[in-house]
Amino acid sequence: MGLLLLLGLFAFCVVFGVPVAFALGISAVAAFAFEGLPIMIGFQRIISGINVFSLMAIPFFIFAGELMFHGGIAMRLVKFASAAVGAVRGGLGIVNVFSSMLFGGISGSAVADISALGSILVPVMKEKGYDADYAVNVTVTSSIAGIIIPPSHNMIIYAIAAGGGISISKLFLAGVVPGILMCLCLAFAAYVVAVRRGYRSERFPGWNALLLSFMGAIPGLLTAVIIVGGVLSGVFTVTESGAFGAIYAFIVTLLVYRSLTWENFKIAVRSSVRTTSMVMILIACAGAFAYMLTFYRVPDKTVTLLTTLTDNPILILLMINAALLILGMIMDMAALILICTPIFLPVATSLGVDPYQFGMILLVNLGLGLCTPPVGSCLFVGCAVGKLPMEKAVRTIWPFYLAIFVALMLITFVPAISLTLPGLLDP
Amino acid sequence: MTEHEAPEAASDFMTPIDKVLDGIALLCRVITGVSIVVLTVIFGWLVFGRYVLNATPTWVEQAALLLVMVITFLGAAVGVHEHTHLSVAAFRTAAPRWLRMIFVVCSDIGMLVFGLLMLIYGAKLTAFKWGSMIPLIDLPEGLRSLPLTIGGGLIMLFSLAHLVRIVLGRDLRSDTIQ
Amino acid sequence: ADWRGWNIHADGYPNTVAMDKFAELLEEKTGGEIKLQMFHGGTLGSQPDAIEQVRLGGLEIGNFNLGPIGPIAAEANVVSLPFIFKDVPHMFRVLNGEGGAKIAEGMAAKGLVPLAWYDAGARSFYNGEKAINAPADVEGMKVRVMNNDLYSGMIAELGGNPSPMAFSEVYQSLKTGVVDGAENNWPSYESTGHFEVAGYYSLSQHLIIPECLCINTDVYNGLSDDMKAAVKEAAMESAALQQELWAAREASSREKVEAAGVMTNEIADKTPFQEAMAPVYEGYLEANPDLRPLVELIQATE
Ligand code: NA
Ligand code: NA
Repeated sequence: MGLLLLLGLFAFCVVFGVPVAFALGISAVAAFAFEGLPIMIGFQRIISGINVFSLMAIPFFIFAGELMFHGGIAMRLVKFASAAVGAVRGGLGIVNVFSSMLFGGISGSAVADISALGSILVPVMKEKGYDADYAVNVTVTSSIAGIIIPPSHNMIIYAIAAGGGISISKLFLAGVVPGILMCLCLAFAAYVVAVRRGYRSERFPGWNALLLSFMGAIPGLLTAVIIVGGVLSGVFTVTESGAFGAIYAFIVTLLVYRSLTWENFKIAVRSSVRTTSMVMILIACAGAFAYMLTFYRVPDKTVTLLTTLTDNPILILLMINAALLILGMIMDMAALILICTPIFLPVATSLGVDPYQFGMILLVNLGLGLCTPPVGSCLFVGCAVGKLPMEKAVRTIWPFYLAIFVALMLITFVPAISLTLPGLLDP
Repeated sequence: MTEHEAPEAASDFMTPIDKVLDGIALLCRVITGVSIVVLTVIFGWLVFGRYVLNATPTWVEQAALLLVMVITFLGAAVGVHEHTHLSVAAFRTAAPRWLRMIFVVCSDIGMLVFGLLMLIYGAKLTAFKWGSMIPLIDLPEGLRSLPLTIGGGLIMLFSLAHLVRIVLGRDLRSDTIQ
Repeated sequence: ADWRGWNIHADGYPNTVAMDKFAELLEEKTGGEIKLQMFHGGTLGSQPDAIEQVRLGGLEIGNFNLGPIGPIAAEANVVSLPFIFKDVPHMFRVLNGEGGAKIAEGMAAKGLVPLAWYDAGARSFYNGEKAINAPADVEGMKVRVMNNDLYSGMIAELGGNPSPMAFSEVYQSLKTGVVDGAENNWPSYESTGHFEVAGYYSLSQHLIIPECLCINTDVYNGLSDDMKAAVKEAAMESAALQQELWAAREASSREKVEAAGVMTNEIADKTPFQEAMAPVYEGYLEANPDLRPLVELIQATE
C-alpha cells in the first residue's frame, strides 16, 4: 500500500511536469508520512544523499568540462580530429565521433560533450552540405562517449549507488574499451549513412597541418594524462583529480591558449553551478526515495521475482536491458542509476555478472536513453544546437541507435570487453 | 496567454516583485558561483598541503561537504526560478489547454508545499543538530541542514510567484499556457 | 510492536550474526510481542545518520560504535582518548562498572540507551614501509584517520601527518601512496584488503573503542518493567555471543593476513606513545572540564 503510494505519487508528479528531482522528494516524503516515520528523517536522507565525499568529483568534472569548452580546448580537439580522419568518406561525421571520443576522455558528462562539440561541429557540417538531421544524430549519439570513457561522473554515481564496494579508478579503467568499441560502431554507422547519402570527404590537409593541429591539441589532451598520471602515481585520489582537471583547464585556457576571458569564465562558472545543482538535487532526493525502496524491501523482492520467473541468465540479462531501456526513455540518467543499481545489481551478481561489467551495461543502456524521446537530455541539447525539431531528428536516427545497441549486446555478453583492462592494470 | 493581454494593473503589481525575486536569484548565483571556485581551490590546497608541505589541512574535507550543500540547495532554488530543472514536459505539451493548466497549477502547488516542508523540517533538523559539532572544523552540525532550509524557503517563494503569474496570465514557461 | 534495527556489517560478520540472534531472542523472550526487522549492511544510511534516526525514533534499534556517538554525547567521547584503556578486558571492566553507567547516562539523555556492549577489538597502526616500534617511526608519515579531533591530534603529537579521508578511498590511496598508513582492528584490516597494500601491522592498540547495542530512549522508557528486563536480557545474551564470535574472527583474520605474508610486531614499550599523548589529554580536559572525574575513574579502574 505504502509502496503503491510511493510509486504512484512519483508517476503522477512526473506526468504533471514536476521536476524529476522534486517528484522523487515529494513521493518519498509522502511515504515517510504514510508509514508514520519522522518526516525529519526524510529530509535527513535528502541531505545525506549528497553528504558523500566521492560525489565531490562531480562539480569538478562538470566545471573542468565547461572551462575546456568556453576556453577553446574543445575547438582545438575538433581541429585535430578533422585533420586526422576528415579524409574518409563522410568525413565530418567520423570527425564528430572521433572528437567525442577525445573530448569524452577529458570531460565527465554527455551533456558537456554535446554542448561543447555540437555547437562547434553542427554549424560546420551544415555549411559543408551535410543534412541537419545527420549532423544532429551523429553528435547526439556519440556524446554518450563522455559517460563511458573515463573520467565520468555517472560512474561515480554508480559506484556510490552500488554501496561502496566498487573502486572508482577500476571502474574508470573498465570503461575505456567499451567506450572505444561504441565509438567504432558509431563511426561505422556514420560512414554507411554518409555513403548512402553521398556526402563528400574533406581533403587531407597534409602531414604538416596534421602535426600542427596535433601540437595545438596537446595541452588539452594532456588533461587526461594529468588526471590518470596523478592518480596512478599517488599524488592525488580520483576525487581530487577532478579538482586538478579544473585547475589545469583554467591555467591552460588562461595562460597557454589565452582564450579564456572574464566573461567566458563567468559563463563557465554559471553553467557549472546550474548543471551541478541539477544533478546533485536529483541525487539528494533519490536518497530519500531509495530509503523507502529499501524500507519496502523492493530490491530483495525484485531479485526473488526475476529469479523465479526464469533461471536462464541470458534471458534475465536481456530483461534487465529491456527494463533499463524503457526506463531510460522516460527518465534521466542520474536518477535511474541511483534507483536501478540497488535493485538490479544484486540480480546481476547472483548470475555471476561482475559489478564492473554490469556498470558498463547500465551506463550504455541509460546513455542510449539520453538520446531517445520523450525524455533525453542529449537529444534536447542536440536539437537545440542544430535548430531542428525533435521529431525530425528522430526519424533518421535509427542506424545510430542500432550501432549503440550492437555495442550494448557485445558488452552484455562478452565480459572481457569490460574486464580485461582493469584486470591487467589493477589485479 | 497570447490571445488576450494581461491587464496593465497586474503587470505593475508584479514588476517590483519580479525585480526582488530576480535580485534574490542573482545573489544565490553569486554565492554558489563563488562556492564552486572556492571548492576547487581548497582541493588544490589539500593536495598541495599533503603532498608538498606534508601537513594535510584536515578541515578541507568537511568544509567541502558544506560548500556542496550550499551549491546544491541554493542552485536548485535558482533552477526553480528559472525553470531549468529536468522535467518531463511531453505529457503537458500533448495535453489540451484546460488540462495543461491543471498540470501546471498542480505541479507548482506541489513544489510550493515541498518547499514549505523543506523549510519547516530543515529548520527542525538544524535546531536538533545545532548542539553537536562537526569534527575537525568545530562548526555546528546544524550548518549541514541550513542550506536545505533556506533553499526550501526560496523554492516556496519562487513557486508562489509562478502561481501568481499564472493567475495574472504572465507565466514564463514557453510550453505551458500559450 | 514492530521494530526496525540498523547494522553496518555484512552477512556473516560477528555483529550481524549477533544482531540476528538478538532479534530472535527478543521475539522469544517477549512472547512474540516485539518483532525486530534487521537492516544489515548499512542499507538505511551511514552510521552518523542511523544514530540520528534512532534518536529521532525513525528506527528503534542500532548497533553503533561509540566513536561517532562522541560528538553527540560528550561522555561517550572519552573512549576515543588514545590509550585510555589498558586492553580489551580492562575496557569491559570499566563498561560493566561505574564508568559504563556514567557513559550510558550521558547517552540516554541524548536519546540512546545502550542495552549491551559489543567488542570491536583494538585498533593498531599499519603501513607499507616499516614496522612501528617508537613514536619516531611515525614521524613524517601520512596516516589516514577517522573524523575526530582526538584521532588527528594523536597522529600530530606522534609527529605524523594526519590525513582524514573517506573510508572508501583508503585502499587505493594506500596502494598509490596518497597516504602511507592507516589504523584499524584485525578484522577490518583483513576484510578491506588493506593488508595487501600495507604489509606492516604494528600492535600499538592505541584505540579500544567499544560498540553498543542501542535502543531509542523513549521507546525503552515506554516499556513495562518485565519487557525492559526481557529486552535487556536478549541484548546481554547477544553481546555474549558477539564477544565470542569476535574473538574467533580476530584470530582467523590474523591468521589469514599472516599467511599472506604480513609482518606483525608487538610494541615492547608503549610508554613513549602514551607519554606523547599528554597534550591531547590536556587539551581535551581543558575543553571538557566536567569529564575529568570520568577520565580519572577509568584510569583508576583496575
Ligand atoms: Na568522460
Ligand atoms: Na530518453
